[in-house]
Amino acid sequence: MTTLLAQHPVPGGRGALRRAGQLRHTSPGRLQLLLVLLLVLGALTGLVAGLTATSAAAGTADLRDRAQPLLAEAETIYSSLAEADTIAAQAFLAGGLEPAALTARYEERLAQVTTALTSASRRTPEGSEAAEAVHALAAGTTRYAALVATARAANRQGLPVGASYLSTASELNQQTLQPTAQSLFQFASREVDAGYEVARSSWWLILLLVLVVALTSALVATQVYLSRATRRTFNLPLVAATGLTVLLVAATGVLFALQRDHLRSAGEDGSVPVTALAERRILALRERASEALTLAARAGDGPHEEDFTAAQARLTFDDPELLKEAGLMRQARAQHDAYLALHQQVRELDDNGDYDGAVKLAVGQDSTDAFAALTGTLDEALDRRRAVFDEEIHQAGRGLGALTILAPLLVLAACVLAALGLRARLEEYR
Amino acid sequence: MRTRITVGAMALVLLLAGCTDDAPQTAAPVPVETTKETTAPAPVNCDARASLRPSGATPAPGKMPARSYLETIQKRGRLVLGTSQDSPLFSSRNPFSGKVEGFDIDMGKLIAKAIFGDENKLQIRVIPHADRTTIFSDGADTVDLVINTMTANCARWEQVDFSTTYLETGQRLLVAEDSTVDGLDDLKDQKVCAAVGSTSLANLQKAGTGATARNGWGECLVAFQQNEVVAISTDDTILAGLAAQDPFAKVVGPRFTEEPYAVAISKQHPDLTRFVNAVLDQSRRDGTWKTTYEKWLGALGPAPQPPAARYR
Repeated sequence: MTTLLAQHPVPGGRGALRRAGQLRHTSPGRLQLLLVLLLVLGALTGLVAGLTATSAAAGTADLRDRAQPLLAEAETIYSSLAEADTIAAQAFLAGGLEPAALTARYEERLAQVTTALTSASRRTPEGSEAAEAVHALAAGTTRYAALVATARAANRQGLPVGASYLSTASELNQQTLQPTAQSLFQFASREVDAGYEVARSSWWLILLLVLVVALTSALVATQVYLSRATRRTFNLPLVAATGLTVLLVAATGVLFALQRDHLRSAGEDGSVPVTALAERRILALRERASEALTLAARAGDGPHEEDFTAAQARLTFDDPELLKEAGLMRQARAQHDAYLALHQQVRELDDNGDYDGAVKLAVGQDSTDAFAALTGTLDEALDRRRAVFDEEIHQAGRGLGALTILAPLLVLAACVLAALGLRARLEEYR
Repeated sequence: MRTRITVGAMALVLLLAGCTDDAPQTAAPVPVETTKETTAPAPVNCDARASLRPSGATPAPGKMPARSYLETIQKRGRLVLGTSQDSPLFSSRNPFSGKVEGFDIDMGKLIAKAIFGDENKLQIRVIPHADRTTIFSDGADTVDLVINTMTANCARWEQVDFSTTYLETGQRLLVAEDSTVDGLDDLKDQKVCAAVGSTSLANLQKAGTGATARNGWGECLVAFQQNEVVAISTDDTILAGLAAQDPFAKVVGPRFTEEPYAVAISKQHPDLTRFVNAVLDQSRRDGTWKTTYEKWLGALGPAPQPPAARYR
């Protein structure tokens, strides 16, 4: 047969293919084919198992170290900008030289914005929409701080133009900076969603499953064939190889089941409530800012009061994503109602011509305390949910690193065993 | 049809000629959209300075005539004044006290005092410049009157009633100290700031400068100091208040418009207009007007004769 082939040489791959095709007609040939099949499937399974574990580990780490922190920073930038604007408006309302406590809080918020922007810039991919938002925010915040500083300087000299600098600054904050910060927040929240997708590595897992099933089937088929052809019921190395493959399936299955369970918890009990709480905190700040701005503008029921009503309508505490913090949310709702009652009084005073009384109540201790209580509760809930996320994401990442090394090793061992088992049978044909 | 338009255009020219405050030196160009005005019922021979004559004896404070709008105000217990808080010397926020004060606010106080016997029964409500003529149109009496460096002109008479003139001013330019500009002609296509909805802005647009609108005069000063505009143009009385806050600014050029300031009142309440005219007349006679002028605008020079009241 070989001489025949030599007389009619067929060039290149087709010759190899035909030769391989001829192999199945002889027993050692079939064994050689089975060996090649097992080794190819083994190599592929090992490779894909390693890649799946790497992808899941990297995705989980990216979620933990980049996407979720970016969301936290975006939230800090957004809410600190809103709060700086609120404080500036309140200081303006107080009249005279602004109270030192308010100045200190304003400086603190601005410092938070700058710090968060610096770390956010490290977490946003260069050239992306988010990186542009970070650049725009950095430049805008500098300009905003300069306008407020000029307003203060003018105020110190008793120049009425100080008020105009403040309203120009406030306009920049509300109409340019806050919307940009909001889009960064939305980008970060999409990154978190995408981060969960990558961490789950669903496509890699499906591919791995297909390969593992194929490998196991090939191993079983080989043993069935051997036991029929050789009257030996068991080929020990092949049985061991099958055992290792099953072990790989079990280890991968358990690890990924655990990872997915922790990821689900990190999402449902961490990321989702954190995003919802952050949004509520920003809405509450917007209410407070609108109240101060309505008074600062002396406009009565102007556009700022409409902003207040719009924010109030969206500020709910009984949404399903907040169920895990139902206790704190009940407390927050009561505190929000108390603040709303004070706001109602402020509006009544102002609408009935007692502007000074309205200002006094709005920047007074009662309102400040009522509002601080509300944000304090929201902050507490936020901290708790962030802790849950940190814990769950840490758990989710466990074992994935080991799997990255172990899975290819297990498959390698299975391949070696399979080769050994088949080689012993091949030897018999020499 | 053709003759109708011609007649309309002629009527418009007459109207513009009669309406002295409306850029007197540039009555020739007739923009397309104004042809529509001729079909609307416009006051014939509009004299923007002429208001409603006070009727009979002025009621004593706290004794407003029954079933009049004045009585409504008296029952409410305060007079609601629509104004701005960033027109220095007229109505701006004092950074020390947080109170809005100035010439316009003092005019409001005179009226409050005449109604209640107490000048502090005045509620200040800041309204956007652009809303000053439309604020009365919904009939909700959001404010009783608007005193806000507001020029009485024929177009605005369509929407509101004006009192007699309480101050005569004219538009000039505020530029940087080292600028060589001394008239609008030097500022073709350059950015010049004016407040939204002001006659000053309309005048700048007509003159072909790069008119830039801001929400108020203070924000124009911010834009000027941030090098966003090269000049601010409005009535010299307002410019004086802005220049006083910036040693690197100066007011230049001649007055190129006439801007008679008057109190704007809803067309639904002629009794209030007549009453305000009586109060203004009283202030011209008893020297209050002169004292107020010296208090706020003394830096512009000695107080002139108060503008004479004209009635229709």
